[in-house]
Amino acid sequence: MTTFLATPRDWPQVLLGRREAIAADPFDLDAGVRAGAFEGLRRAVRDLGATGTIAPVAASGLRGRGGAGFPTGEKWRAAAAQPATQRYVVANGYGADPATQTDQALLLADPWSVIEGLVIAAFAVGATEAILAVRNDDPALVTKLEGAVLAAEEAGFAGDDVAGSGHRVTVTVRPVQGAYMLGEETVLLKALEGKRGQPDQRPPYPAERGLFDRPTVVNNVQTLAAVPWIASHGGEAFAAIGSKSSPGTILVQLRGPAGAGIAEVPLGTPLRDLVQLAGGTGGRAVKAVLVGGPTGGFLPGDLLDTAYEFDALREQGAHIGSGSVVVADDRSCIVDLARLLTRFSADNACGKTIPCRIGLKRLDEIGDRASSGRPKPTDPQLLDDLAHDVAASALCDHERLATLAFTSAMRHFRPEVDDHLLRSTCPAGVCTPIAVGAGTAPGSR
Amino acid sequence: MSLIPGLGIVRGMGVTLSKFFAPKATIMYPEQPADVAPKYRGRLQLLYDEWGTLKCETCFQCAQACPIECIDMGGIDTKGRFHVHWGPPETYGERREESAIRRSGRTVADPGFAHFEEIDLAALDEILAAHDYDPKDTLAILEETQAEYGYLPVAALKHISRMTGAWYAMLYGTASYYRHLRFEPPSVTTAPRAGEAHRADEAAYRSALDAALGGAASA
Ligand SMILES: Cc1cc2nc3c(=O)[nH]c(=O)nc-3n(C[C@H](O)[C@H](O)[C@H](O)COP(=O)(O)O)c2cc1C
Ligand code: SF4
Ligand code: FES
Repeated sequence: MTTFLATPRDWPQVLLGRREAIAADPFDLDAGVRAGAFEGLRRAVRDLGATGTIAPVAASGLRGRGGAGFPTGEKWRAAAAQPATQRYVVANGYGADPATQTDQALLLADPWSVIEGLVIAAFAVGATEAILAVRNDDPALVTKLEGAVLAAEEAGFAGDDVAGSGHRVTVTVRPVQGAYMLGEETVLLKALEGKRGQPDQRPPYPAERGLFDRPTVVNNVQTLAAVPWIASHGGEAFAAIGSKSSPGTILVQLRGPAGAGIAEVPLGTPLRDLVQLAGGTGGRAVKAVLVGGPTGGFLPGDLLDTAYEFDALREQGAHIGSGSVVVADDRSCIVDLARLLTRFSADNACGKTIPCRIGLKRLDEIGDRASSGRPKPTDPQLLDDLAHDVAASALCDHERLATLAFTSAMRHFRPEVDDHLLRSTCPAGVCTPIAVGAGTAPGSR
Repeated sequence: MSLIPGLGIVRGMGVTLSKFFAPKATIMYPEQPADVAPKYRGRLQLLYDEWGTLKCETCFQCAQACPIECIDMGGIDTKGRFHVHWGPPETYGERREESAIRRSGRTVADPGFAHFEEIDLAALDEILAAHDYDPKDTLAILEETQAEYGYLPVAALKHISRMTGAWYAMLYGTASYYRHLRFEPPSVTTAPRAGEAHRADEAAYRSALDAALGGAASA
């Protein structure tokens, strides 16, 4: 079950503002409308007009919540400017990271904001087909979403004549399943086309040539859920929330020794506050914060003042990624964690390119050697070179980011990595064969 | 020995001079590309690595790219499932011998080349008709076929390929990519049921993460 964590009262709420008002039945359209759903759409249709809707989205500075942080207004403009007979808008609700439930939680807590954002996006870029792509793990959620779309269509918020504008926007719910990589936009489009899920070279970006080679806007569900708020409150109001270069709020999946939960936080919040929201470490020292999910990076305890936003994180060798923030105290071993993440990334790579198919596998093997006490003398150099080469020759962001676990460990936790690679010891006493080999009892935790 | 002294040199220089003014036949290799037929794709060859194992990873990229579907291979796919599939295997050296035997009418010992089992196609035909034989619906067709037969029999893939016009290699590549699709009937394999494999992996990752944190986190 997903738990929402309580956040300080004065933190702004954009995505979950309506959650409590409609908590009795989030899928009841009337209750949603009473709580303000589809007001943004009415405003877009009545006052802003199709192209006029893009302006406030651009002015708001909204950046994609799918991980890369691409400016949404710019993406929409590119798709709208592309000459085409057909355009598509796809809401990416796959939520690839198995340890992050934010996107699914949003769809369950307030489906209307996502559907409304999707229709506004389609209206703005001139698309008649809108697709809500979700995970097929939970057939009940798929059925509920299909019902919600039907209700919205019957009420005239989607379908042949969107809110009396004369525009047609057909919304379809498309369940997909069976691969981690389905979260990546070009892979998701491949799946929607009925093909094998391997990424395509970008550019051309989907905004130019996407689904069935037509201009396609792919946006994360959180990105879309922020759009109705922007349409009714204006771009400036949104730009005033969060940090200057990354305005607005985001859902984070917190996880630590004290428990797990989801919270809506303004971007730019210091990591220290997020650690606190996660329940802290109960008196123990914060050793590292893993930011970004399976392909994320480690930040050490003395960088807790880093702002949780796109640019600051990237500078420190992590990224927003899946919106996951994992707190590790002094009982955990960075090399062990990095190995775990790299193993996951290697297992889930698509197999299309050499860095993806073989590079990540080799990286994983170095991790195995390091944590089993059998490193080769060349491993430190090899790790460095290989991570660099994989990142430089990657086809998609998956391989590029999958190197972060080890590169950020090398950058911020070099002594601990060296202990493993040069001296076959594990200071945290987690990698047991090493601890045994080095004569340390494996019971220190 | 010539009677006139120096005549040999003059003759020799004559050859040089005549070649000097003759039209040149040199090809500026490699600056000037050789004239290659548009259909030429180079020679197909499987390479071995330094341990003597085949470098082929059975990724089916080449089979998907081949315009006339002449490439086929057997082996272990990226998910560790052994699967040899059906196709004209002549082009790969390692298969040539078996192919020659088969063409000569003798039985081939390789069980991978046993002819696929026939299935009752009526249900599949209904599925295909419901999707208007549209290859854009490949995933839905595969999922419904699996729901009907419990797995994806080779005969079904062949039939889908024939009816939709989608290449067999494409279909096979697609089906082998998604973790919820399977090729083995549930009765002959210990592999987890379709869809469960992926979910089990995800759950394993979550608990490994929690274990690595040393605490009692729960989702
Ligand atoms: C391996 C990988 C997994 C991804 N998983 C997701 C995902 O689960 N959900 C998502 O919205 N974006 C995911 N993305 C990002 C998408 O490719 C894409 O950038 C995003 O959906 C665009 O929407 P945005 O502009 O609103 O961020 C993933 C990217 C990669 C490389
Ligand atoms: S299947 Fe083809 S492309 Fe893939 S590794 Fe083997 S020979 Fe190479
Ligand atoms: S995961 Fe295979 S190319 Fe990126």
